[in-house]
Amino acid sequence: MKVFKPQNIFLAVVFVILYLPIIYLIVYSFNKGEYMTGWGGFSFKHYGELFSDNRMIEIVIDTMIVAFLSSLIATIIGTIGAFWVYQSKNKPANSLLYLNSVLMVSPDVIIGASFLILFTAVGISLGFTSVLLSHIAFSIPIVVLMVLPKLKEMPRTLVEASADLGATNYQTLSNVIIPYIQPGIAAGFFMALTYSLDDFAVTFFVTGNGFSTIAVEIYSRARQGISLEINALSTMMFIVSLILVAVYYFISNNNSKKTRGAR
Amino acid sequence: MSAKKLFYTIPYAVWLALFVIVPLILLVFQALTNQSGHFTFDNFAAYLSSGTYLRMTINSVLYAFLITAITLLISYPTAYFLTQLKHHSFWILIIILPTWINLLLKAYAFIGLLSKDGTVNSFIQLLGAAPQQLLFTNASFILVSSYIEIPFMILPIYNALTEIDPNLIQASRDLGANSWTTLKKVIFPLSLSGVKTGIQAVFIPSLSLFMITRLIGGNRVITLGTAIEEHFLSTQNWHMGSTIGVVLVLAMFITMYLTRDNKKKGGRR
Amino acid sequence: MSQPIIELKNVSLNYNDVRVLHNVDMEIEQGKFYTLLGPSGSGKSTILSLISGRLFPTEGDVFIDGKNVSNLPANKRQVNTVFQNYNLFPNMNVYENVAYGPNLKKLPKARVDELVKQMLSLVRLDEFIDREISELSGGQQQRVAIARALANEPKVLLLDEPLSALDYKLRKEMQYELREIQQRLGITFIFVTHDQEEALAMSDWIFVMQDGRIEQNGTPVDIYDEPINHFVADFIGEANIVDGVMKEDYLVNFAGKDFKNVDAGMRPNERVEVVIRPEDLDIVAPAKGKLQVTIDDQSFRGDFYEITAIDDYGNEWAVQETNPAKIGQRRGLNFDPEDIHIMRLAETEEEFDARIESYED
Repeated sequence: MKVFKPQNIFLAVVFVILYLPIIYLIVYSFNKGEYMTGWGGFSFKHYGELFSDNRMIEIVIDTMIVAFLSSLIATIIGTIGAFWVYQSKNKPANSLLYLNSVLMVSPDVIIGASFLILFTAVGISLGFTSVLLSHIAFSIPIVVLMVLPKLKEMPRTLVEASADLGATNYQTLSNVIIPYIQPGIAAGFFMALTYSLDDFAVTFFVTGNGFSTIAVEIYSRARQGISLEINALSTMMFIVSLILVAVYYFISNNNSKKTRGAR
Repeated sequence: MSAKKLFYTIPYAVWLALFVIVPLILLVFQALTNQSGHFTFDNFAAYLSSGTYLRMTINSVLYAFLITAITLLISYPTAYFLTQLKHHSFWILIIILPTWINLLLKAYAFIGLLSKDGTVNSFIQLLGAAPQQLLFTNASFILVSSYIEIPFMILPIYNALTEIDPNLIQASRDLGANSWTTLKKVIFPLSLSGVKTGIQAVFIPSLSLFMITRLIGGNRVITLGTAIEEHFLSTQNWHMGSTIGVVLVLAMFITMYLTRDNKKKGGRR
Repeated sequence: MSQPIIELKNVSLNYNDVRVLHNVDMEIEQGKFYTLLGPSGSGKSTILSLISGRLFPTEGDVFIDGKNVSNLPANKRQVNTVFQNYNLFPNMNVYENVAYGPNLKKLPKARVDELVKQMLSLVRLDEFIDREISELSGGQQQRVAIARALANEPKVLLLDEPLSALDYKLRKEMQYELREIQQRLGITFIFVTHDQEEALAMSDWIFVMQDGRIEQNGTPVDIYDEPINHFVADFIGEANIVDGVMKEDYLVNFAGKDFKNVDAGMRPNERVEVVIRPEDLDIVAPAKGKLQVTIDDQSFRGDFYEITAIDDYGNEWAVQETNPAKIGQRRGLNFDPEDIHIMRLAETEEEFDARIESYED
């Protein structure tokens, strides 16, 4: 009885609205017909089209390479950056944190446009390199924001204890600090990964020479109209997203359990 | 010691300089020069004297305002009701899940839903009415933008609500307040920081989402973001594009200033 | 006796299918200072929640002013609570916090102002009226919490371990002040604490609780002098508890000897527990003592020495003495018949009261 409280009905409606378009996309990826209306029967034919579409497969691979490489490099630079912000106690370092978040709050078009000006001014040709550099650039601040709280929450005495027991700075870093902040690093990496996979606007501005990512490709195809091959792709991407979310929540849950245990 | 410090400093500092400071300077520089590279305020003068640009800016702000208002209206009750559920941390996950799906795909889904022979129109015909032009209208732009932004509004409000000490709600009840008064006088004021974050997270992108205007709103220039994209990628007038970019950055700072967290109150724990 | 202002009749509470409160009966009169005393998890705060309406009884009924309020929500009850963590609204200043309840009642502005000023002066925070909560110390926040609850002019004020977060000195000060506020306003206070010293110092009447049951209730003196069982004797103050046998009325055997005492009404040769408080024991010359002991240990406690002595049967006796003793020395222990308190095993409170009445007066 209690399930049918008005507030739960409201929530149910919100959930339906949020998922309806996604489910709609997925359902029609199995349509025998060519449009997102009129059910022509169940079929995998659009998945067939997708897998025989060499350009699309190439784009998917390129997207994955950009996502993985940019996340990896951004995680390294971002973690080092978090150390820097953590270690510098003086005021200028705090304003660094404001600078850090500039790229997080800036609208995509501004990032895209200003990077386009930058690459043109420096003479970097538009394509894989410019897209990769951009993705690294906009992923770094999220890594910093994920790692920094872990560093701050780490008890100072832990480092002191390690030094007291005779560890060198390097040993303390690799045996004490890195394991402690590792959940933050992992979370930063996954956030960077999703940032990269999710980006459209920045890539759209800085890409060229026929280099494309999934989002940009969907945009140009969608402007020409419906193609159920895109639905098939959506379904695949939805499944990948689900896996990423599961992994991310596994990491962050593990993480909070650990800290809870430590307190 | 100094070698260690350099190791910490260099990669991040280089990034800060090259990808945060320099691009912003370049953007402003572009806005303040003309085609032949001379310093000039002409771009801003042109922007301020042009009815088209000003109207577009006002429209963009208006649309963003509408999208933010609609999103807030749906998101606050959603977030509030969510916190009342037993397994609310699971349900909020379900709310966030769609944000992990590329927004192009979501916009694309709406093309299918709203197009002339799309699902919604078939439904309308089923009810006996004539099919409507749904796609490429201002309403469809607002609808799809709101749809995409809702989770970004729910999440910060939800976080702010769950941070409220449940004992405060008990205290309010104990002092004689009913649920509604408690919501109005205790819960809402304490969740205001989340509402502000949500407004930032929705209003600023709503000024700049150009792909939705292109795909759903019809090929019309109705937001600052669309205007920038058009100047950079279609008409190749980077100077004017940068000028509008500077306006967008200003709009962003104004939004952030207006929705800043005033530390005076609400300093909890 | 006039009608109790609060009454719990045979109240039980299940929490996640676990019974946390067992058949509690309780009568609270107007104008007294009551304390619910017990270790954590004994159910004392649960009783407060039942009275204030944060929890509702699984069985039994709660009455306020003779009205059954068992299912009435908190905001409709004329009782207010001072919470352990104060629970002040951080989005409001001191004035707004205290005025919260009166404003909800839609009192005229002048009356609200008057109430706020009156209550703040009662807790001696007059000058803090415009302060933000974050600017106050813990002790000051506690006072605001008290003023806020009192501003609602409740019939009964519930205090849920309100002093436990304060340091020792401040706590002592607040104990005194709370007692004074209660006497000045003449309303009923129900105070929850796990600190027996606090309970003894402040209360008119104490309920001692354990495992969701009321073990004993009475005045502080009654409970201290005549604890009903091992738990109460041990929890309230310090106690020497040894096994004994009640040979006949007014004669008890323990530590190998017979002693005259003042208890009666038990079966002949009934096994009992014997309680003697440390301050009732005197160390004397071995020949003059009723018991012979060896001094085992002693520690200085500021105003007295706590001395541990062991008798010939291996019973340990804690003694409080103003003069030190010598460890290892053979001494005597002296006490009066009235200092011996007898506890029957598994005697209920009703049986205890009935037995006492049968031979007293």
